[in-house]
Amino acid sequence: MPETEKIAILPYRKVFQIAWQGLRIRLVKTFLVTSCITLALAFLTYILFSNGMVAGVAERASEALRQRLAREGILEQMLSAEQRTQTAWMLGIALMNSFVGIVNAMLISVTERFREIGTMKCLGGLDSFIVKLYLFESLCQGIVGTALGMVIGLVLAYAEGVSLFGREAWTLLPAASVLRILAASFFSGVGLTVLGALYPAWSAAHMEPVDAMRSEV
Amino acid sequence: MPADAIVSARGVKRRYRMGEEEVWALAGVDLDIQRGEYLSIMGPSGSGKSTLFNMIGGLDRPTQGTVVLDGHDIRKMDLRQIAYVRCRKVGFIFQTFNLVQVMTAEQNVMLPMTFAGVDDTTASRRARELLQRVGLGERYDHRPEQLSGGQQQRVAIARAMANDPDIILADEPTGNLDLKTGEEIISMLAGFKREQGKTIISATHDHKMLAASDRVVYLVDGRITDVKTRDQMDISTGTITDRVGS
Repeated sequence: MPETEKIAILPYRKVFQIAWQGLRIRLVKTFLVTSCITLALAFLTYILFSNGMVAGVAERASEALRQRLAREGILEQMLSAEQRTQTAWMLGIALMNSFVGIVNAMLISVTERFREIGTMKCLGGLDSFIVKLYLFESLCQGIVGTALGMVIGLVLAYAEGVSLFGREAWTLLPAASVLRILAASFFSGVGLTVLGALYPAWSAAHMEPVDAMRSEV
Repeated sequence: MPADAIVSARGVKRRYRMGEEEVWALAGVDLDIQRGEYLSIMGPSGSGKSTLFNMIGGLDRPTQGTVVLDGHDIRKMDLRQIAYVRCRKVGFIFQTFNLVQVMTAEQNVMLPMTFAGVDDTTASRRARELLQRVGLGERYDHRPEQLSGGQQQRVAIARAMANDPDIILADEPTGNLDLKTGEEIISMLAGFKREQGKTIISATHDHKMLAASDRVVYLVDGRITDVKTRDQMDISTGTITDRVGS
């Protein structure tokens, strides 16, 4: 078979255009999936920040704040072993919640489109096209959902921080820690979203088209 | 392989694994399909007709035997060559229409052209021409959910014709349609054969399809049990004797 009788690989711009259009048309669905990511990330970011702030009290809080917290019995409670175990649990749950929530949302939203994947393969779509399509879609959803979630988590954590520690809340976490938490949240949010979408998309893309179209979810 | 055969199947077998059991969906099929022929594959469900249909279109590969499509052995093709065949040489029509739900009629028809590397302006113009031809000129901007079953199937026909393929493969194209709409679809397919010399291959158990066919292949348990040409079918009286039943 001559070399010219091979399908061309679509440019990224074109794939992105198709992905973006799909997201727009499926607006309600896109919104629902994205809000799953947002919720999970808001929880995770909030927990990471409020933990950081509590840890910061021991090291960086002024004498005045520490005395006030001690007087009100908050300091003791915050540094108790019981409280620490609870915090560790919360952190674990936050991580699991993000993982399960995001991966589940993406798995469902991709597997219900297996027929579409099969159809596209019948029309000459390459496996790599399918994978790229879902990569772009999930990246868009991941970035938007994660960013929104991070903003919500951050606002909640600092609102609570200010109500507990007053103006010192802003200085309890050094800039480096803030950046580290933001980066960890961002990459876990986007990473989980892409992972949750790419795994089913990859397996569907490598099926024979008839099998992909036949599979019921 | 005869010189004018566009599809040639030799000793085609296809095995499926169903749990512990192995099922031979095709148990050795030999079939030549001529260029410009209207061929119907007929058989009860489970007879292997869909499997044979998928083989012809490069949607599935035989476990044993060869399928040669327009001079090229499907088993020897790599992924990009198979994709080329599905995109340029064959046009698919399905029982369940299988339009991409998030795309308009026009975008659905454009999709195979996009895969073929046609630019948007040309693809859009051709898509609208094709939709005009199947009687949906005004509805190019509608999405599948806004169209009736018959209209969706007509979009699918326009999509199948997008890259001007030699072969149109139709899997039970009238299965989900009412009588009148089904007849319209069949006469549209017959028109492509008559006017543009397309090869039409359809898997069906719709007797209306048989009347339009040049040849009917009967499949039972993965084997061809009978082949009838148009002359052998009793069309003059409007009844078709069907030895196998469906």
